[in-house]
Amino acid sequence: MKRIITPLFRFTLYLVLIAPLLLFTAYAFSTRWFFPQPFPVEWTTVTFQRAIHDSRTLSSMVQGIWIAILVSVLSLMLALPAARVLGLRKFRGRQLAWLLLFLPTIIPPLAIGMGLNILFLRIGLAGTITGVVLAHIIPTLPYTIFTLSSAFARFDENYEFQALALGANPWQIFLKVTLRMMTPSLVVATLFAFLISWSQYLLTLLIGGGQIITLPILLFSAASGGNPSIIATLSLLFVAPPVLVIAFTARSLGQHGNEIREQY
Amino acid sequence: MTTINIISLNKSYPNRPEPVLKDFSLSIQDGEMVALLGPSGMGKSTLLKLITGIERPDSGDIQFDGSSILGIDPNKRGAVLMFQKSYLFPFLNVEDNIGFGLKVQGASSETIRAEVKRMLNLIGLPGIERRKPGQLSGGEGQRVALARALVTNPKLLLLDEPLSSLDTSVRMNLQEAIRNIQHELGVTTIFVTHDLGEAMAMSDRMALLLNGEIVALDKPENLFHRPRSLTAAKFMGVSTFLNGDQLKVQCDVAEGSSEKIFAIRPEHIRVQKESCKNSMQGVVSDCVFRGEYIEYQVDVNDATVRARMPMPAPMFPHGEQVHVKFPKEYLFEVECP
Repeated sequence: MKRIITPLFRFTLYLVLIAPLLLFTAYAFSTRWFFPQPFPVEWTTVTFQRAIHDSRTLSSMVQGIWIAILVSVLSLMLALPAARVLGLRKFRGRQLAWLLLFLPTIIPPLAIGMGLNILFLRIGLAGTITGVVLAHIIPTLPYTIFTLSSAFARFDENYEFQALALGANPWQIFLKVTLRMMTPSLVVATLFAFLISWSQYLLTLLIGGGQIITLPILLFSAASGGNPSIIATLSLLFVAPPVLVIAFTARSLGQHGNEIREQY
Repeated sequence: MTTINIISLNKSYPNRPEPVLKDFSLSIQDGEMVALLGPSGMGKSTLLKLITGIERPDSGDIQFDGSSILGIDPNKRGAVLMFQKSYLFPFLNVEDNIGFGLKVQGASSETIRAEVKRMLNLIGLPGIERRKPGQLSGGEGQRVALARALVTNPKLLLLDEPLSSLDTSVRMNLQEAIRNIQHELGVTTIFVTHDLGEAMAMSDRMALLLNGEIVALDKPENLFHRPRSLTAAKFMGVSTFLNGDQLKVQCDVAEGSSEKIFAIRPEHIRVQKESCKNSMQGVVSDCVFRGEYIEYQVDVNDATVRARMPMPAPMFPHGEQVHVKFPKEYLFEVECP
């Protein structure tokens, strides 16, 4: 029984994940595909090429990737010290600190976005990359802090004491020991930050005010336009970077588990 | 290489009412190995943290070769640590682990390679440069950790229960290895342990630590045979204490005074059927066969006498009337606070 169920389950899982992508591909590379026909009759790359050669598509992707990279870096820099203290130390008000840092996941983004919009308009950050990056850090920070703090909770400071006693200065300890021990978790945290920022629609729209165009914004306007070929093409482009990032970090994700096992 | 002077060190933590170290002083000769023996939570590890600079003392001074190290950064003090766990960096192989200290101090890669090789020979594990810490056994890991600590040519080696997580046979092996390497390099060493046998086997001098204070400090053999105080004697496994009143009934050793307390090691007491000079009558209240020896507990004059008779020895059952002999030369007086 188990011999049948496991492959069946696996097949269903793959189908659920891949089927929409196949459908998108079919829509993106065909034209005039109407109801009774089970498969597209006319295959073409015209729509796809048009979408790619549209300067807005490319610039929105580049801008989105830049924003996501900046958000990841800043989010890690902010999360690392916080996660270290939350993971390694016990102190009064620790619960409160957790609550405050996790608040962005509880409060609706619309509420944050509206409030921020007013603030950023006043201080001149609305409609700027800086403003959008700062806004994106709000939803990413809880995830990066959570990932890193659970890694720090498993971290043994004696590794750092060893390095210290052997003559390493604080920077050497941070770079050669702490960061190296944390690498797998840092990769996972970066991934989270990147993906959250890359797929952010609401905050980009509210803070960017139509001046900062990322792919989700193009996608939403295309979706309301109703041309399935364009929607499908943009959707494919939208999934591409995350898939590539995950493909390149898969090794690290696997190592994450291995190194934990090695340590204990 | 280095003499160590620890002068009136005090340390307390805000969340603990009692200070961890109270007016703690200790001088260690160049190349000497001193064992700090005591139950856990008695300030042993705190002392090591103060010496390495991970923590700062409330008052007092620590001097290497006569000059204070309290103003020196922890990474420039030259005091290296070895813990119960090896704490080898899991992402580096054995060679890079051992070479870590030299590398951060800016040594050239040829020097590092040569030194690592020399250390691996010294610890008796040549040719394992490319292995990862995960591929080493517990004993090998500790040997590599020792090599990593010693390769930097430290002024002081601090061992914090380095053998307590190992099997008995591996432990014996490593006791000898550490002792030999320490002798060969002549590095001044402080060895923290709660194992009496290990402390005696390895150290030149032993300090008994209780509640943040040294209660006794001497060569292992002196402490073993003639501990001066009651506390030290209990530490060293002496379990029979009799006051003058209890002793003088039939013994001529304890002349007079009922306030004095006399002690004797369990191995030196004889339990026998017949009475003789310096013996007292008692009743066996417990008898445990331990293989190499028999452990007796005999009630004598309202006191409990614990004896350890090496095999072969007569077995006396519970409740048997026996005579307990205290050889005069093995009885000693202990100070009672």
